[in-house]
Amino acid sequence: METSKFYNWVKEYGWRHLIALMFVTFAIYPILFVATNSIADFANLTNSKLIPDGLTLKHYKLLSSDPLVPYFKWLYNTYKVALIAAFFNVFLGTLAAYAFSRLQFKGRRASLLTLVIVQMFPSFLAFVAIYLLFFQISDIAPFMGLGTHIGLILVYLGGSIGFNSWLIKGFMDTISPSLDEAAKVDGATDFQIFRRIIAPLSRPILVVIFVITFIGIYSDFILAAIFLKDKNLWTVAVGINTVFIDDFNADWGVIAASSVIAATPIAVLFIFFQKQITGGLTAGSVKG
Amino acid sequence: MIYLSMTLSKIFKYTLLAIFNALIVYAVPLALTFESWFFLSLILVIGILVNIVYFTDRFQPMKWILPGMIFMLSFVVFPAVYNTYVSFTNWSTGHILTKTQAIGVLEDRVFTPDDQKGLEFEMYILQDIDLNFYYVANLDSENILFGKAVSDNEIFSTSYATHEPSLFIDGEFSTPDGYYQLSGKEQIANSTTLQELSLVIDKNTRAQLYKISVFGASTGRLTSTSQLYTYDEMNDALFNNATNTLCPVVKDNFECEGKEIEPGWRVYVGGENYSKLFSSQRIRGPLGVVTKWTFQFALLSVIFSFAVGLLLSMILNKDGLKFQRIYRAVFILPYAIPAFVSALVWKGLLNPDYGVINSWLGPLYEMLDIEPVKWLKTKESARSAVLLVNTWLGFPYMFLITTGALQSIPKELIEAAKVDGATGIQSFWRITFPLLMVSISPLLIGSFAFNFNNFTLIFLLSGGGPPIIGSEVSVGWTDILISFTYKLAISGGRGNLFGLASSVTIIIFALVLIISAISFRYTKRLERIYGNI
Repeated sequence: METSKFYNWVKEYGWRHLIALMFVTFAIYPILFVATNSIADFANLTNSKLIPDGLTLKHYKLLSSDPLVPYFKWLYNTYKVALIAAFFNVFLGTLAAYAFSRLQFKGRRASLLTLVIVQMFPSFLAFVAIYLLFFQISDIAPFMGLGTHIGLILVYLGGSIGFNSWLIKGFMDTISPSLDEAAKVDGATDFQIFRRIIAPLSRPILVVIFVITFIGIYSDFILAAIFLKDKNLWTVAVGINTVFIDDFNADWGVIAASSVIAATPIAVLFIFFQKQITGGLTAGSVKG
Repeated sequence: MIYLSMTLSKIFKYTLLAIFNALIVYAVPLALTFESWFFLSLILVIGILVNIVYFTDRFQPMKWILPGMIFMLSFVVFPAVYNTYVSFTNWSTGHILTKTQAIGVLEDRVFTPDDQKGLEFEMYILQDIDLNFYYVANLDSENILFGKAVSDNEIFSTSYATHEPSLFIDGEFSTPDGYYQLSGKEQIANSTTLQELSLVIDKNTRAQLYKISVFGASTGRLTSTSQLYTYDEMNDALFNNATNTLCPVVKDNFECEGKEIEPGWRVYVGGENYSKLFSSQRIRGPLGVVTKWTFQFALLSVIFSFAVGLLLSMILNKDGLKFQRIYRAVFILPYAIPAFVSALVWKGLLNPDYGVINSWLGPLYEMLDIEPVKWLKTKESARSAVLLVNTWLGFPYMFLITTGALQSIPKELIEAAKVDGATGIQSFWRITFPLLMVSISPLLIGSFAFNFNNFTLIFLLSGGGPPIIGSEVSVGWTDILISFTYKLAISGGRGNLFGLASSVTIIIFALVLIISAISFRYTKRLERIYGNI
C-alpha cells in the first residue's frame, strides 16, 4: 500500500522534481560559484567547493585599492552614463509620445510606421559609421567626440527613443481622452495638459521604460568598447573584460568580487520589475 | 502670475534656441575646414529644422517630436546612410585622411641633404642625474648654445637651445651645477647613442656631434633640414626635393618611382569592397563560414533555449506541485544577470586547464579514457560552448513566455482530448504545441533576430576564436557577422578596414530586413501595429 502510494507520487510529482532540480543546478551553479568565490579565503577557478573553508572580504577590499584597476571609477562612469542617457531618453520619448497620442497632424501614421521600421535595426549595427562620425566630431567639437562620455550618451539617446516613444504612446492611448478634453474646455494649453494630466498618469509606464533603458545601457558592451579608449573613462562592461583573465595566476577572488558588484544591482532591479519587463512590454525583443 | 510664467518660459525657450544656433554657427566653418561634407549637411538640416519649427507656429506637433527625432536622425538613421557611403570608399588604415589633410602631413616631412657640410665648432657633452644628455655648442661668443640632446622623433616637440654665456669663464668651459661632463673616452663608449642625438637650434637647423676627441673638446657640425615634399597643384603631384622627382597620384596615394607614399587618402572606390568580399577567395571563404554559422548559432540558440524553457514550464504546469515558486525564482536568475558578466564567468568555468567544468568532467574523461575537451580552443568545442552558454542565458526568457502561454490555453481542450482517448503525448503535439506556437512564434523570431547580432556573448566568451587558419583577414570559427565586422574595423590586427567592414554591415542590414519582413508576414504584428495607429 505504502509503496504504491510512493509510486504514484513519483509518477505524478517525483520525476518533475527530479528534472526541475537538475535545471536548478544548471541555472544556479555559476552564480553560486562566483558568489562564494568572492568571499572565499582561497579562491581559484578549480575550486569546485561551493561552501568555502574560510570567509573574508579581502577581495572586495583589494578591488577598491588597486590603482591599476579603477573599478569603482568604472562603476561610477557606468551609472552616470546610464542614468543620464536613460533619463533624457524617457523624457524626449514622452514628449514625442504625447504628440503621437494626442495631437492630430498629417503624416502621423507614416511617422509612427517609420519609427517601427527604424527600430528593427539595432543602432549598434552601424557602429563603424558611428565610430567614424565621432572620429570627425572629435576634430570639430572635442568635448563630445570619440572617447568622451557626452558622445556616448548622445549615441545611447538615439538608440531606443523610437521604441520607447512607441511604448509610451501605447500607454497614453489608454488614458481616457475625456480628461484632457475637459481641461481644454477650461482653457488649458497643450503643455499644461501634458504636464498636469498626461505625464503624471503615465508615471507607471515611464518608470518601467526608464528601468528597461537603464539596464540596456548598463549592459551595453560594443558601443562603449569602441567609444572609450581612456581607462579612467571606461564603463564596467569594458573594464571588467580586462580584469577577467582565466589564468591560473589570476586572482579569481577579485574577479568574482567584481562580478558580484557589477551584477547584483541589475539583478535586483530586474527581479523587482520582472513582470512588467517581460509582460508583453518587450514583446518581440529580448533584453540585451 | 500666469503672464510672468509665460514670459519666463519664453525667455527660457529663446535662450535655448540662441545657444543652439550659436553651436551651429560655430560648427559650420569647422566642418568646412575638415571637409566633412556629410557632417556639414547633417548640421545644416538639423539647424534649419529646429529654427523653422520653433520660430513659427505652423508645426505645433513637431515641437514635441523634434528633440527626440533629432537624436534618432543623427545617431540611428544618419549612421545607417553614412555606413552605406563608407562601404563605397577605401577608408582604412593609411587612407584615413582627406587628400588635403594627407598633403598637409606630407609637406611637414623633412630630410637632411647629403651635401650639407656645415660649420664646425667645439662641442661639450653633459649628463644630468637622470642620465639625459645635454649639448653645449660653442659657435661663437654670441652663440653659446645649450640644450637637451634629443632623438629624431622628439625634434618637433622639444624646445630650442638657449644662449648661455655664463658657461664660459675666461674662455674656459666650466661644468654647470647638477651636470656631469663626459670625457672623451666616455663619449666613445656612448658613441652609438650620441650619434642619434641632436641639439635643436631652430626649425630647420640642428647641431650634431661630428668628431669625438679624446683630448680637449669634441667637434660638432650644423646640419639643416629641408622640406621633403612640395605639392605641385598644377600637375596634382608631389615633388620630392631629395631626389628631385615628381610623384604622381595613383588612385589614392602619391607614388614615387613606383613606391607608394604613406599616408594616402580616402576616395570613392565604387563596388570594390563588395567585389572583394565575393571574389577574393581568402575573404569569401571565411565570410561564407561566418554567415552560415551566424544562422546556425541564432537558430540553434533559439531551439535549445526554447526546448529547455518549454520543458521546464510543462513540468511546473501541474497543480499541487510543491516548491513551484522557488523553482520559478531560480529559473529566472540567469536572465537577471547582465550578459557581459555571465559570459566572462562562463569563460572562466570553461577554462580547459583550470576551469571547474573540466575538473568536474575529469572522472568521466578517465572512465572513457579520452583526452579532456579543450573548451574554446577547438572549432567544435568552442561552438558547443557558445551554444551551451547561450542556452543558459536564454532559457529563462523562454520559460517565462511559455509559462504565460501555457496558462492561457483552456484546460477544457486537453480534458476533451483525454475523453476522446488521446494520450498525453498526442494531446501535447496536436493541441498544446500548435496553440503555443501561435502566440509565441513572433517572440521566437524576435529572439532569433537578437541572437543574430549577439555580439556581447561571442566577443566576451570566445572572442570569435579559435582562428580560421589561412584567411586574409582575422576571423575565427565562432565569429558571427557582427563580430567579424568588429574585427575588420577595430581590432583585427590588420589595421582598420572601415570600408570593407561597412560592406559587411550592409549585408547584415539586408539580412535583418529579410528576417523582419518574414516576422511581419507570418505574424499578426503588422496588423497590431496598424490597429495601434
